[in-house]
Amino acid sequence: MTRKRQIGILISDLRGWLRSGFVCLCLLPLFLTALPARASDQIAAANNVITSMISQVETYLETDSGNIEKRTEDITKLLDTHFDLPAIARFSAGPYWRAANEQERIDYVQTMRDVVIGTVVRNFDQLSGLRFTKIDSQAKGDKMVLVRGLFNDSTGKRPPVSVGWRVITPAMAPAKVLDVEIENISMLVTQKQENITIIRQNEGRFSALIEAMRKRQQAP
Amino acid sequence: MFALLKRSRNRISAAPFAAILLLAACSSVPDAEKTDARDPYEGSNRKAFAFNMGLDTHILEPAANGYRNVMPPAGRRAIDNHIDWTGLPATTFNSTLQGRFENAGLSTVHFIVNSLTLGLVDLTEDPKAVKSQDFGQTLASFDVPEGNYLMVPVLGPNTSRSLTGRVVDSVTNPMSFLKAGDAVQTMQTLRPPVAAVSMRANLFEAFNDVKYNSLDPYARTRSLYYQGRAGRINATVGKPTDNRTADDQFESFLEDPK
Repeated sequence: MTRKRQIGILISDLRGWLRSGFVCLCLLPLFLTALPARASDQIAAANNVITSMISQVETYLETDSGNIEKRTEDITKLLDTHFDLPAIARFSAGPYWRAANEQERIDYVQTMRDVVIGTVVRNFDQLSGLRFTKIDSQAKGDKMVLVRGLFNDSTGKRPPVSVGWRVITPAMAPAKVLDVEIENISMLVTQKQENITIIRQNEGRFSALIEAMRKRQQAP
Repeated sequence: MFALLKRSRNRISAAPFAAILLLAACSSVPDAEKTDARDPYEGSNRKAFAFNMGLDTHILEPAANGYRNVMPPAGRRAIDNHIDWTGLPATTFNSTLQGRFENAGLSTVHFIVNSLTLGLVDLTEDPKAVKSQDFGQTLASFDVPEGNYLMVPVLGPNTSRSLTGRVVDSVTNPMSFLKAGDAVQTMQTLRPPVAAVSMRANLFEAFNDVKYNSLDPYARTRSLYYQGRAGRINATVGKPTDNRTADDQFESFLEDPK
């Protein structure tokens, strides 16, 4: 290969690098603006879910007559709209989700859904008089946002309670609540650790957890 | 009457030490039966938990229910303020040990200002400005491992580190050395049971939900304790805890949710 040809190849390579470098330089601002845009979209989506949910809760509290059937119907609608109940069930089973068979998974998701709805229905009165004030929202990675705020009791009988909503924000699906944190205590992590304890006490039988949950639900 | 209260006060002060002696007799659970690696004494801990729940059912819950019904909100707030106020010397002591001099100064100022009302009325502009500190948090700031989970009769959930902290705090709190007459002595004696009733009343529904609606109240209490303690240490000492935080767990889950 002649020296002239080698120089030609070198210049051609340099041009290629420069061209690709130029393209990268042109695209860089796009990446840089796209990242915060994604984060701000995530945060906006999470904030919208919480605002909409709080507004719906306030409406239900205003019209709540104490009728358990009506309350259950309202709460079910609220949770289906704003909470990712299947993901809540998967998370709460911990590592034992993988070990469960298909039927156990179906039964567990259904039972867990009933437990969550039952818990909210049972404690719904406690939300009366509380006013939510948002403090801030923080992206936790690219799939989750923590919306933090305070519940203040308008009657002054209860001290303010800090609350955090962990909202999952998938790019191609609506944002939904995965977890509620009260005074920095995650309700879902608590449920998961309790569930794991039950399974371990029963020699790793996933079905024992489902049985215990059903038994608990049927108890007066 | 006062003599009786003084005697019972000595018994209350001795409670943490007696609890530690009792714990020395704890038997550990075989690995296969452990439901949580942090809880090797689960068998003994569950017995202590059952004892505490009995105590709650027969004494604390009815007392807290009565307190909620009888005491007006202003009275409850005054009692909560007083209990917070008596913890300020411990915060000053521990903040100083940790080198958090601003917090130590703030807690001293709050203590002096509110001593005009014996802590019953908070006269400071921002009561939340002081970050409460105990010796367990001081040990955490010195990277002392948190040790095992211990359910202590009467005192409730602890780790070896936090229990050591409680003992040190009870010994080093200058309020316990006060010799200011029978009235103050009586207040000192009544403070622990009143604090317990007040705390139970403030958490009445939440506590009852754990007690009556959990699948396993013991496991739920353990989880709540660890998370609450980790949050407190992280917020005040600013150190990650020995446990995986909720954020870590959700991050792993979202990486592979199937």
